[in-house]
Amino acid sequence: MTDAVTPRSRAGIDLWRWAGRIFLTVMLLFTLLPMVWMLLTSFKSGFAALQFPPQWWPKEPTLASYRKLLDPTNSVGADFLRFFWNSLFVSTMSTILSVIVAVPAAYAFSRFDFPGRKFLFFSVLLRNMFPAVVFLVPLFILMRLLGLMNTHGSLILTYLTFGLPLAIWLLKGFYDNIPYQLEQAARIDGASRFQAFLLIVMPLSVPGIIATAIYSFIGAWNEYIFAYTFINRNDRLTLPIGIQRFFSESSSDFPGLMAASFMMSVPVVVLFLMLQRYFVRALTEGAVKH
Amino acid sequence: MSIRTSDAPAGGAPARTAAREPGVLRRTWIHRADYLYVLPAIVVMLIVIAYPVYYTIDLSFYSTPPSLQLRDKIFIGFDNYKTILESEVFWRVTLNTFIWTIVSTGCAYILGLGCALCLHQAFPGRAVMRAILIIPWVISAVAASYIWKWIYHSNFGVIGAILVELGIMDRQPNFIDNVNTVLASLIVVNVWREFPFAMIMLAAGLQTVPDQLLRAAKVDGAGAWHSFWHVTFPHLRGVSIATILLLAVANFNSFIVTWIMTGGGPSNASHIWITHIYEIAFGRQRWGIAAAYSVILFLIVMSLGYFYVRGLGGAEKEGGGS
Repeated sequence: MTDAVTPRSRAGIDLWRWAGRIFLTVMLLFTLLPMVWMLLTSFKSGFAALQFPPQWWPKEPTLASYRKLLDPTNSVGADFLRFFWNSLFVSTMSTILSVIVAVPAAYAFSRFDFPGRKFLFFSVLLRNMFPAVVFLVPLFILMRLLGLMNTHGSLILTYLTFGLPLAIWLLKGFYDNIPYQLEQAARIDGASRFQAFLLIVMPLSVPGIIATAIYSFIGAWNEYIFAYTFINRNDRLTLPIGIQRFFSESSSDFPGLMAASFMMSVPVVVLFLMLQRYFVRALTEGAVKH
Repeated sequence: MSIRTSDAPAGGAPARTAAREPGVLRRTWIHRADYLYVLPAIVVMLIVIAYPVYYTIDLSFYSTPPSLQLRDKIFIGFDNYKTILESEVFWRVTLNTFIWTIVSTGCAYILGLGCALCLHQAFPGRAVMRAILIIPWVISAVAASYIWKWIYHSNFGVIGAILVELGIMDRQPNFIDNVNTVLASLIVVNVWREFPFAMIMLAAGLQTVPDQLLRAAKVDGAGAWHSFWHVTFPHLRGVSIATILLLAVANFNSFIVTWIMTGGGPSNASHIWITHIYEIAFGRQRWGIAAAYSVILFLIVMSLGYFYVRGLGGAEKEGGGS
């Protein structure tokens, strides 16, 4: 096609290409520099981090901060590992539950017509738009009534409802794309409707389920406001709140804080990068279709 | 690594039909058991949505004791609403909220669009670059807030240090302890976290722009800018509306960055509604006032939601995006 391009517009395209490269480089720096600075700081000693002008590159890199956080025999490490475990437990449980609840619901929204279907689907979407704060006081009271304050149960239940709307939305998009003829064929071969769902549709929707699970997991792992409100007991805290307790305003252990921030980010980033193909597809499928 | 939105070739029409066809199935499968599939979801949503919403509306008409002993609440009608609308802080926070939401959303959208367009061309290292650009969106907002708090630190912050080293400033500036710069500084953090989301969505949208049209535009001698403005951009309408509204709602509801970095300070300069309500409720324990605030907020979000659904509906009618 290049032969159809006039010299004038080719020069124009070159200009745009260069502008694009420069823009992309700037964005890459904007994205990376804060993370690089986090890493560099985490390898400094507490003293080295508080110098001016700063050591751009750690002169005596040390793993002390990481060693401290990962050593279960000292109190900081024991706490950090417990917070890590709490986050893992809460996130995993709410992810499993949200998939179990969302899969049949999304399937029903995609396949069946029933009175109130539209209204229900709309209200599911609407949930995502409500600010968490609106739910905070009532849920606080509800958890108190149920005796769930300071338990992981309160968080699992809350995160379940968080993840649910988008999970249903994502999965519905997936089911919409699975041809119903496949199910019909199975039905003709004598499978019950539930069997057709379980044996035909479920395996085909595995990418969607993976995407949904990642979304719930990341959401729960990063959640802050409910954990901050519902949990007070030190041994039940999740990572985001735990880290805050560690490094309260008065502390100046910035290498420790950066190391902890880094370690908190690692699981979700790894999970995401491994499975981003599924995730990005599921996330954008609905929006692009609309 | 490319994002395919459907297995169908450009246009995506076959996928569209497949999505419609289950209607046939619906008619033949009407059955009481259908509800069983949705029942668990309904129960969960009722407990944690219907109940809290009802509860918040109810509570907004009462004066409540700090202890939240609800036997002792006193009915006061619309007094809580009156108190809010008459307070100066309310308007300050409202202005902040709108600046925060609009500027964050706008910047995240534009930067995301730029990145999506740049990454649309094939070049070596594209997949890696895309993966890197997505990371800020994935990492914990709490971690991001601490990182940026450290970057903005008024004594040891790296941006200030660079500015001093370059001779642009003679001493470390206060980014987030300063009433004039705090909101802008927080918006930068927010945009850093959110532009990848816009990028992902718009990159997927770009996949649906028909190649033939772009080629035709080229044959007609249209420059890069013209073919973007007249061909690509109109095709992104549907995705853009969805992206902007999702971002706007997320920004409107955002809590963590502000709460961790400044707690709304200094002197309310960075409070947005969410953080302000949180402080009224759990800081000052004025539950009734906080509930009334929440109801106002709730009405605003409902109207945003209305536009969202209408926006999507409009996009669908025009067949935009797919």
